[in-house]
Amino acid sequence: MGADPLVALLAACAQSDRAAFEQLYRQTSAKLFGVALRIVRQEDLAEEVLQDCYIRIWNRAGDYREGLAAPMTWMASIVRNRSLDWLRRANPEVIDVDGEIIERVASDGEGPLAALERLQDGAALAHCLRELEAKQRQAILLAFHDGLSHSELANHLREPLGTVKTWVRRGLAKLKACLGARPGS
Amino acid sequence: MNLDRKPELQQRLAAEFALGTLRGRARQRFRRFMAEDAVLAAAVQDWELRLAPMAAAVAPVQPPARVWRAIQERIGGAAVRPDGIWANLAFWRNLGLAASGMAAGLLAAIVFISPQAPSPAPAPMVVRVPSNEMAATYLAVLSDPKTQKPMLVVSAGRSSNELWVKTLDPAIHVPDRSLELWALPPGQAPKSLGVVAPSEKMAALKLVAAADLAFADVPALAVSLEPAGGSPTGAPTGPVLYTGPFLKYW
Repeated sequence: MGADPLVALLAACAQSDRAAFEQLYRQTSAKLFGVALRIVRQEDLAEEVLQDCYIRIWNRAGDYREGLAAPMTWMASIVRNRSLDWLRRANPEVIDVDGEIIERVASDGEGPLAALERLQDGAALAHCLRELEAKQRQAILLAFHDGLSHSELANHLREPLGTVKTWVRRGLAKLKACLGARPGS
Repeated sequence: MNLDRKPELQQRLAAEFALGTLRGRARQRFRRFMAEDAVLAAAVQDWELRLAPMAAAVAPVQPPARVWRAIQERIGGAAVRPDGIWANLAFWRNLGLAASGMAAGLLAAIVFISPQAPSPAPAPMVVRVPSNEMAATYLAVLSDPKTQKPMLVVSAGRSSNELWVKTLDPAIHVPDRSLELWALPPGQAPKSLGVVAPSEKMAALKLVAAADLAFADVPALAVSLEPAGGSPTGAPTGPVLYTGPFLKYW
């Protein structure tokens, strides 16, 4: 496995190298914008999230630890957290008039899993997601990718809240058992 | 919610926090627990790492060019925080309660001198606390020893890798020279903390370690006048202009 060029870019950012930061942005912003957009679902909000996150990445590049996670994983965590904070603040209604969100995941768990498998550190997770019951997997993918809360999940999946909560809880427990107690181990 | 003796519940909430299903006030409350509980924070990080590859598998969407322009503006010169402790009334209040008489006196002076420092009155005032950052723990007010006039305020959160520097009087910046900030550990050579950005705005300097580690034994800070870009030798070469005690408040 070749060295991830993003590691070097992050290291340069930690030294306040602006050119490296621009490179990092060029190479990662589309992916991270995709992540933010799917959760907050409004372009203007997603743009603000992205801005905040890159400022944070710039300021905290020195905190990145190579052995712990791939750079993209680390950055995506920052974007997801910020996006979920925005959801809390703006509390937007889930806009899914055409059932687009539910279709994307519900129709076929394979799409996102296949994409996941191709990633440097995604294969094990994809394997473990496949091991889950279909409903558990669907609930977890929807919650993760689309930022759906328990009650939103219940609405979308047309199942009682308690049932959905159980799927999520059991799915997560199984994932953990499958992946090992510590990530990457 | 007492999580101390419920490791199973801890694990579950950590997982749901990372997944995103822990929401609203519960999420914020959990974040506060995390700030005080390293085990909990580690459990969340483990879960974030487990799940995060899924995020990297999301279909990319090109953001508009204005996003990068805005980011560039925000990191121009030095990283500038839009809503730091300067907008946080609670910070000033807590500080007033915690500070020693002298520090409180200096701060009172700053409240009058700095146009951006909020006055403690009038009462109804919306204060936005950065959601996941504690107010600053370490604080220094650097003064001109001759006039006793406060010139800079330096602060950091205890677990933060950033040191925030606010220039109270922009006139202290001299063309073609730099002001360099130094930690003064007792019995040791001064350690450079970086060059103070020539700006009225608050600017961040990066620390090599979290403030609690970096400043465990630093009772005072100083600013010296150096060639543009900072001292070429790693030790102060110019006159020391401003100094002040560096205190940990809570």
